[in-house]
Amino acid sequence: MMKEYSVIGKPTPNVDGPAKVTGEAAYTIDMTLPNMLYGKLLRSPYPHAKIISIDISKAEALPGVKAIITGKDTPGGRYGLWRRFRELSDQECLATTKVRYIGDPVAALAATTEEIAEKALDLIEVEYEPLPAVFDPIEAMKEDAPTVHDEFPSNINATRHIEWGDVDEAFAKADYVREDRYVLSPAHPTAMEVHNSLASFDKGTGRLTVWSSTQSPYFLQQGLADALKMREGDIRVIKPHVGGGYGGKNSTMPDSISAALLSMKTGRPVKVVFNRDEEFTATEHRTGQHMAIKIGLKKDGTIVALEIKALTNGGAFTALGATTLYLTGTFGTMPYKIPSYRYDGVRTYTNTVWGTSIRGFGAVPAKFITETQLDRAAHDLGIDPLDIRIKNAVEPGYEAPGQYTFESCAIKPCLEKMKERAKEKWPKLQKDEGIGYAAFAYMSGGIFNWIDTPYAYSSAHVKVNIDGTVDLYTQASDIGQGHNTVAAMICAEELGIGIKDIRLHLGDTAHTYTDLGAWGSRETLMNGNAIKDAAAQVKNKLIEIARLKLGENIAYDLVAKNHRVYLELRPERGLSYYDLVKDAIKANDGVPLTGVGHYTPHNKGMISPAYGMGVLAIKVKVDRETGHVDAKDVLVVHDCGQVINPLGARGQVEGSVHMGLGYGMCEEMPMDQGMVLNPEFVDYKILRTRDMPEIEIIDVPTYEPNGPFGAKEAAEATIAPTAPAFANAVYAAVGAEFYSNVLKPEKVLKAIREAEAKQKANSKAKK
Amino acid sequence: MAYYRCPMCRKICPDHLDLARHYLGQTDKKHKDWLKTQGLSYAKLITDQITEFGNKGYQALADVLKKEAPEVKEI
Repeated sequence: MMKEYSVIGKPTPNVDGPAKVTGEAAYTIDMTLPNMLYGKLLRSPYPHAKIISIDISKAEALPGVKAIITGKDTPGGRYGLWRRFRELSDQECLATTKVRYIGDPVAALAATTEEIAEKALDLIEVEYEPLPAVFDPIEAMKEDAPTVHDEFPSNINATRHIEWGDVDEAFAKADYVREDRYVLSPAHPTAMEVHNSLASFDKGTGRLTVWSSTQSPYFLQQGLADALKMREGDIRVIKPHVGGGYGGKNSTMPDSISAALLSMKTGRPVKVVFNRDEEFTATEHRTGQHMAIKIGLKKDGTIVALEIKALTNGGAFTALGATTLYLTGTFGTMPYKIPSYRYDGVRTYTNTVWGTSIRGFGAVPAKFITETQLDRAAHDLGIDPLDIRIKNAVEPGYEAPGQYTFESCAIKPCLEKMKERAKEKWPKLQKDEGIGYAAFAYMSGGIFNWIDTPYAYSSAHVKVNIDGTVDLYTQASDIGQGHNTVAAMICAEELGIGIKDIRLHLGDTAHTYTDLGAWGSRETLMNGNAIKDAAAQVKNKLIEIARLKLGENIAYDLVAKNHRVYLELRPERGLSYYDLVKDAIKANDGVPLTGVGHYTPHNKGMISPAYGMGVLAIKVKVDRETGHVDAKDVLVVHDCGQVINPLGARGQVEGSVHMGLGYGMCEEMPMDQGMVLNPEFVDYKILRTRDMPEIEIIDVPTYEPNGPFGAKEAAEATIAPTAPAFANAVYAAVGAEFYSNVLKPEKVLKAIREAEAKQKANSKAKK
Repeated sequence: MAYYRCPMCRKICPDHLDLARHYLGQTDKKHKDWLKTQGLSYAKLITDQITEFGNKGYQALADVLKKEAPEVKEI
């Protein structure tokens, strides 16, 4: 039976909602400082070229231009998120000897207005010597391919291998073996707030303050320290409200570095804001890749072996791409029992803008291929698509050798619930309508430590004041996903008070203990555990005093709830929270009550302490004449443990479905010779609210022992099954098969014609 | 139980295939250069491993390591 909570589990509007909807909430992009300058970057028009010379004299002479820097003016630090392996920290402040993608910054300048800065960019003269370039991962690995980074011959940036069981023997014994090859397109995270930073360097103290639209103040502090060759402690990063990240704002980017360098040079604050074109052409995106998958099953649908190959187009730099590559291998197995598994991933450098860990962190391509292939296999074996998933679904306690263990796990109940609800919801289908399913599981934060942090993965500091109000200090990042509300709810629940009693102090490296930031759906579990720990320390002090004052037997348990501390079994016997706080502070020599909590996962495998999971279904109607697919309805059955904020969880599922459907229907980044061809919203198609189907969400509650109050991931998981469920629905409706995402009408029409031709050929053969 | 040591670093593995997996997972120059001395191409091995199902790339290196990485008697 689930526990009854006072705060948790109650639909709660975001604590910062009123500020956001009234426009009062400050984002970095809104900020100005006295005497501030405007920075701009000059970017390479070539995908690969030597920098022969840069002449800044004409630009320098333009009135209003205050500083110009090129690669030779930078401290020469190399940076990147893979600090644990320094050779993978492969980015430099500004290109020094050569450029590696169209958009690689070669110079930065600061001027008194944006207009002057733009004009000055045109006056910088750069002489390049174009070099042969490579854009495709298969071409990049050839012996005679141009080398993007000299230290990486054949452009092999990272390789990943996972293997357990005797894969070849299992395939040999399988009743049914199927091999498929896929090509998946890159896609952009398209956060509404573009990358932007404001930097202010204090020449007197040698300290730097940077306000930035980032997913992780700590990552940015580390990246800046590496790039600028400064001590981390001399850099203060402040994260105001952030208008979306989706994985694209984990890395340290040239906006913050160039703003910092220009501020150091001028002694004035400098702000750098990317425009939308820069956002598309020179910031991180979901990696495009070639994939191959082989599955072996018994006649009854039991999976006996699985093999996946992923060759990704990494682009010019590593960022989190190497981690994403590994996770594609991990998520390829979830949520199924796979007795024998082999995964190979290779990430190549190419002369394109680099790809990284966009929402779903490797799970999106993995699920597209595994869930569409499983559907084809089920069809061939004459098994219902939900039944084959139920047959192979993992159970609580399942361990993938050396990789991960599921503790709380309701994937089977989710699948069974889906079967029941889908029958009720869609009792009869019309012609050319179909339902597609895809199951999923996703981490609640990552255990891997590529950033090489010596700090706890998450920390929180709670201070209780004399009037009972609470100051909660945390570096955890709310980037629009609602973590501020979740943080306040967890703190309030643990202390037995309300969220209105809590004031949040957020995202400032000078005033908060470290948290690694918002990625991999980590904040609820990891920061939630840290907050709960900090709050519990304070609560225990109050309970200690209450026990003394009540004089009760030590065997009686006391609880903190509804602004009281009382005997759990005799609620009438208790004391006021407010009175206890006063007594506790007096007893503490007048010092407010404090607790510093922290969380780092230990002995929880390689991936994550916990996994959210479930199954998603989409009903579609296909127009056979035009290839247009109408996504009519979405049904999600979801196990995310104890839901902390039902309103927030719903928002996260809806957002993930929106992004996943975009990946399946329309979002792609075609490139030609390294140039992104659709770098604006006119050509980069994302679904609008009115394009979205209705989404029904059913929670199957579980209690996750590693999560705060039993909570786990609820943010990203549902992006991964959406596109494959969509493709499976089209297959169910008209028999068209897809081995790539982005099911545009022309692609659907072609696949329908192919399916019809195949059907005709089969009937002819039968006759 | 037998163990085999990487010719370029102190890593030990229970069999030569596992050692080949370790070897091709390294990104440093030292490991890559040694392959050339054995007449092997790092890119070719990785290409074979990623473009075909099975362990073709690892197996080719494992066959060489059988000669070059003898059994470790003491760990």
